[in-house]
Amino acid sequence: MSLDPTPMEPLVAVEDVHTYYGKSHILHGVSLHVDRGEVVGLLGRNGVGKSTTLKTIMGLVHPNRGKVLFAGKLVTGLPAHKLARLGIGYVPEDRRIFRLLTVMENLRTGLDRHGITEARKQELLDKAFTYFPVLAERRNQAGGTLSGGEQQMLAIARAMMLEPKIILLDEPTEGLMPRMVSQIREIIEVLHREGVAILLVEQNVPLTLEASQRIYIMEKGAVRHHCAASELKVDDAVVHQYLGV
Amino acid sequence: MNKRSTTIYWTGFSVILALLIVAPLVLSEFWSRFLTEILIWGLLAMSSDILIGYTGMVSFGHSAFFGLGMYGAAAALLMVRPPNLWLAIVYGLIGSAGIALFVAYFSTRLRDIYFAITTLIFSQIFYVIIFTWTDLTGGENGLTFSRPALGIPGLFSVPFSSETLHWFVLAVVTASYLILRRITQSPFGMVLQSIRENEGRTRAIGYAVERYKIVAVMLSGLFAGLAGVLYAIQNRFAAPDFVYFLVSGETVIFNVMGGIGTLVGPIVGAAFFLLLRETFSRFFTEFYLIPVGAIFIAMVIFMPQGLLGFMRRWLNQ
Amino acid sequence: MTPVLEFLQAIPYDQILIQTVNGIVTGMILALIASGLTLIFGIMDVVNFAHGELFMFGAYMGVVVLAATGSFWLALLLATLIVALIGAALQITTLRPLIGRDPLTTILATFGISLVMQNYALWQFGPVARKIQEPFTGQFTLFYLEYPWYRVLIAGLSAAIIGAFWLFLKYGTYGIWIRATTQDRVMAEAMGIPVSWVYTTVFAIGAGMAAASGVLFGPLVGVNHAMGLDWVLKAFIVVVVGGMGNLGGSIAASIFISLLEAYASIWVSPAQAVIVSFVVLILTLLFRPTGLFVPTPK
Repeated sequence: MSLDPTPMEPLVAVEDVHTYYGKSHILHGVSLHVDRGEVVGLLGRNGVGKSTTLKTIMGLVHPNRGKVLFAGKLVTGLPAHKLARLGIGYVPEDRRIFRLLTVMENLRTGLDRHGITEARKQELLDKAFTYFPVLAERRNQAGGTLSGGEQQMLAIARAMMLEPKIILLDEPTEGLMPRMVSQIREIIEVLHREGVAILLVEQNVPLTLEASQRIYIMEKGAVRHHCAASELKVDDAVVHQYLGV
Repeated sequence: MNKRSTTIYWTGFSVILALLIVAPLVLSEFWSRFLTEILIWGLLAMSSDILIGYTGMVSFGHSAFFGLGMYGAAAALLMVRPPNLWLAIVYGLIGSAGIALFVAYFSTRLRDIYFAITTLIFSQIFYVIIFTWTDLTGGENGLTFSRPALGIPGLFSVPFSSETLHWFVLAVVTASYLILRRITQSPFGMVLQSIRENEGRTRAIGYAVERYKIVAVMLSGLFAGLAGVLYAIQNRFAAPDFVYFLVSGETVIFNVMGGIGTLVGPIVGAAFFLLLRETFSRFFTEFYLIPVGAIFIAMVIFMPQGLLGFMRRWLNQ
Repeated sequence: MTPVLEFLQAIPYDQILIQTVNGIVTGMILALIASGLTLIFGIMDVVNFAHGELFMFGAYMGVVVLAATGSFWLALLLATLIVALIGAALQITTLRPLIGRDPLTTILATFGISLVMQNYALWQFGPVARKIQEPFTGQFTLFYLEYPWYRVLIAGLSAAIIGAFWLFLKYGTYGIWIRATTQDRVMAEAMGIPVSWVYTTVFAIGAGMAAASGVLFGPLVGVNHAMGLDWVLKAFIVVVVGGMGNLGGSIAASIFISLLEAYASIWVSPAQAVIVSFVVLILTLLFRPTGLFVPTPK
């Protein structure tokens, strides 16, 4: 496929992006990149622009300045649905499952697209149901009737239906019980093994450090620190400085 | 407003007023009548601007207030001998205020499109009542009557000429404009504007938003009724066509074309619309609404501030 | 007991039954118009003032195609398709630029469209009402009336079209896209659904349904340029009473209001019977502003 990156190119590259909501300046020149199959953590306090960074990559908000590249191709300004087709999956902070659609219909929103065979659809569904057996049980239940943890699984499964090369995960463990949190941790591991890249925004620092290879730390709408996850595990000072934990 | 812009404002106001006073003396009969009509429709548009522009509620039912003003005036002119101008105004205002209170009581509980639809339906209710109650309203044919004399009882009384009618209308519209302008700049007007900006916050500060809205609708209905009285006097009839919702639609068009929230804008919009109608009628006869409708759509899309807002921005550059 | 008995005897049962049938027939036509309107509102917050004119255009297209081909069914089909295309074109040119602006601007734009379309029809077809010949003229006896089968057929066909549309929404891929977009436009976009085309499609479907009802209803009344006005007002009432954006509610409200109006017109003139639906609307807005036919929100 022509979209496959050459080994040197990052899968997603964000270069000096400035994003506004109306008049308020949210992102002040964010730059970061995610390589193929890599899990990257994005840390920072609330309101520093982590979610906006994800939305900018997804094309849900458009930057006023700066570039977003996907597999070396300039995608700034493309509508979100084209980016989804290119291979970016999005799991938003509040999950945003389609509450009145059944579990199956939620999955079909990502599954019914051109150039996918029935066999491949079934394969993707089977895979999702193996990872999340509870979704198979509830396949004909309305999304809005699921518990918080089940909705989170549905949101991830739904993104997987797009066969994405990268998934943007926005606070997947927020408000979940510990048992659910470790299940989310496992699914990140599984996706990573399958070669799907992940850009992970989290408040749960230990989980992020464990799951990711590299870490970006944001403050006031810009990236302030960038290092390997292993480095940060032993450097409490940095974590304390930016995250206050 | 700083001192300089105040001076500019009143100078402009005086110049325009002077031009409007002189107009019937220099213009032909046709154009001077046209100008009078612009003023009347301008008053209707201005009354609806209180809701659209200042309170953020789009009324699609102003034809009811306008129409009740017409029928109120008709009632006074047909029942009381000799016909009295001031009584026509009083009856018209009572009619429109009564209706406005009724509409306001129900419709102000709703917001946005629901408000728009409710006012539309209310105006249609009055349309159906007026249209079908033939004994009282003359039904489809409406009512015709003779024009009252201009005068003050006991002092003087002269029949209206087209000049004096123009000046009378001009006086009423100018007075209405100054009153409405004063109201919009008063603390009451400020509350209305804060309802437009953020209804929830206005309520949280402790204002009885519903009561303010009811007063706004009544005020708006009152001036719309006044426009209806003037129109009845100018044309010597009252007809159900003027209660029909298309008139309400045109009122909204005047506002959008001229620029909402400016009071002057809607008058400019009415003038612009009537001029367009006049121009295109020559080529398209009664189908003038085809090009005028298209222009209106284009203005909604490309010129949401209306003519006045557009000119203001253009001047500022 | 006698006054009660007298009252019961005074009820014109035969008329009530006839009006029940009439009410259901108009109710189904109204439902066909209103379901497009409510869907357009539900998915894109557009209050389509021009919906009555799409209905009227459908009827005129029916007249034209019928005159050219002689086939009522072909007229129904072609009119639906042509008006659906017109609807798509209107949506792309005038409503797409307004996405993201105050929903009230859509009322203004569609009001402008309705003025243009109405006057265009007047210009093109003149003020004299046209007639659509019904496809068959059989009748059956209903008390003292010869009731036309065609009216029953209209109700059946409208129900069939609405039913097909419901199945499409429920099971079709694009139906799921439409429902997903209605619930969460942004997330639908992020799932790869081309939302702006979904909007166009929905508008076209709504326009096509309005056109179909125009052709079906044409034989019962004359076709003229102003025929859409009454219907769009009624459809607005239905959409509000049924709950904005709620398809099932709109259908229930259509039949409910049409029945009420049919019964009322036993005693008052049809023009006055309209007031009944106005009153229903006002009561709904006062006591259940989210609509009569929706479960109370929790």
